[in-house]
Amino acid sequence: MSNALRTTTVGSFAKPDYLQRARNRHSAGKVTAKELDGLTRQATKEVIEVQKELGLDVFVHGEMERGDMVGYFGENLPGMRPGELVRSYGNRYYHKPVIASEVRWDAPVTVDLWRYAQSLTDKPMKGMLTGPYTIVEWSFDEHYGSRREAVLAMARAIHHEAEALAKAGAKYIQVDEPAIHTRPGEDFDLAVEAMGVVVKGVSAEFHTHICYGDVPKIYPGMLRLPVTQIHLAFKNANFELLHLLEADPWDSKKELGLGVLDVHDHHVESVEEVKEGIKHALRLVPADRLWIEPDCGLKTRTPEEVRKKLRVMVAARDEVRRDLAL
Amino acid sequence: MQTTVVGSYPRVSNGPEGQRLRKAIAMWERQEISREDLRRVQVDVLREVVAEQAAVGVDLVTDGNITWYDPLSHFAAKMDGLEVGALERYFDTNTYYRRPQRVGPVHWRGPMTVEDYSAAAAASAAPAKPVLTGPYTLAALSAEGASEELVMEFAEALMHEVKALAAAGAPHIQINEPALVLRTDLPRGYNHIAGLVLRGKGNAKTTLFTYFGGVGPMLDDLLMLPFDVLGLDLVQGASTLKALAVTDVEKGLAFGLVDARNTKLEDPKAVAKAVLAFKDRVPLDRSYLAPSNGLEFLPRARAREKLEVLVTAAKLVGEATT
Repeated sequence: MSNALRTTTVGSFAKPDYLQRARNRHSAGKVTAKELDGLTRQATKEVIEVQKELGLDVFVHGEMERGDMVGYFGENLPGMRPGELVRSYGNRYYHKPVIASEVRWDAPVTVDLWRYAQSLTDKPMKGMLTGPYTIVEWSFDEHYGSRREAVLAMARAIHHEAEALAKAGAKYIQVDEPAIHTRPGEDFDLAVEAMGVVVKGVSAEFHTHICYGDVPKIYPGMLRLPVTQIHLAFKNANFELLHLLEADPWDSKKELGLGVLDVHDHHVESVEEVKEGIKHALRLVPADRLWIEPDCGLKTRTPEEVRKKLRVMVAARDEVRRDLAL
Repeated sequence: MQTTVVGSYPRVSNGPEGQRLRKAIAMWERQEISREDLRRVQVDVLREVVAEQAAVGVDLVTDGNITWYDPLSHFAAKMDGLEVGALERYFDTNTYYRRPQRVGPVHWRGPMTVEDYSAAAAASAAPAKPVLTGPYTLAALSAEGASEELVMEFAEALMHEVKALAAAGAPHIQINEPALVLRTDLPRGYNHIAGLVLRGKGNAKTTLFTYFGGVGPMLDDLLMLPFDVLGLDLVQGASTLKALAVTDVEKGLAFGLVDARNTKLEDPKAVAKAVLAFKDRVPLDRSYLAPSNGLEFLPRARAREKLEVLVTAAKLVGEATT
């Protein structure tokens, strides 16, 4: 695998109809956990096939088992309880969990499905976790009453999960922190400290994904995050954020994940516009440290849109490699 | 003491019937139902949330902002001179809004909230209060930020909306200005801006509501503005309590003392006690007890329970002051 402009995706894929129906029926007690698990694995296999077909470099398992990135941990970490639906924007809702008592980690949550997904391919499979700051920020805290205490307790739980993934063989672990810029002046340092707790002593390459919100307020401060790669959503605002890197250079030791597909837009990008974004980024970050990815998880798009968009992404990457002889 | 809400209310609840609006929007986006079909479901849910507020005993209800995509684009998409752009985080919440961008002079094109207000008023035994996002917040959260010129253009556009609401019979109109909490002083000329927005209000009573933080340093200036009631978030903006403790208030306040961002339920006695601490400084007979901000950040069932806390606490205040 060439290290120039590696491709991957951010985590989630759209659930096929049969799985969504089965999940609904499982909630209603009409499908057993075993049946649902079988269908989850079938859908995971399909996600892997799509990535094989498209020729991506680092795979994800697609998060077929997760309703959403925070609610899933709310269902599985001791001390949390699943919540009820609240709206995040537009017509999108999620089950916002509740921190009801001391948050703990008793056993691996994500490792089984990661192991299954990795068994289907020789390509590296990313371990996918949600970061402690985001889980706390997007939950109702009825227990701690102090954001600092809650975030650090959550960080210890997520650290155990990262450790379990690394022990199982995950080379890359992504810790999503889309809420990290919620209060940039007030507690960005807390989010950095929490990431330090998550990664400490775990032998894997850590990526983090940050999207939307006030990214300029946490740049260049975000370069203090103890991870190998920081991924940002660039296409959503037509690569405007690259101007930040023109003003303050990217960290020479870090990789940049360049979001090149708007996951909230039905419109399929042209190869040319994606190439333009990649070439702009290459003036700021060398090819071996620049990864090409969608802006965010792909679950917001239909399977057909996902294929079309990812095809464009890979084609643009290939053409840039050819154009620049990378 | 009366009770009111700040604006939004959860639009889905558990079970298939509780999710009918969500499903209808998805079907409309896939062009499986018409705009009229969607509107029917929206109005149906709007009536339901109005009735729910009234059934709990809220004295001044809202339409729950049921038809709003978000508090910015609901207005930006309906005014001339604006485009609706990228997703941005809405303050420090876990919700997002589409950022308005000015592409020409901003003008009022036609009523933006009147139909929903009328539907709410028709469905409610209690008076209904239409809510508008204020000119400063619309400008501050737009792509170019709160330039004086843009704030003024929004104020002029909102003046027409207030006039249309008053003509439709709204007895009380509320302007929401959460972005004021990001400042330590009032924007220059805000008194004039507020006067402009309210110019066509007729006999309607008015409230200015700030939330998502404290406004202690500008409390005196806020109280001088030409609104009948000042709404304060006293949970996330608990810092305002200090300023309030040393201020004699002549107008009514909306005490935002019930946390609309956390599921943990308050003790009504504690809420009543917090209000009663101000009985000698604030005219409680012209004041309201309210959630700290819109209730949409909570699950539906819990939002209703929070309203029950409000109503019980208001009764306790009433008993203690008569």
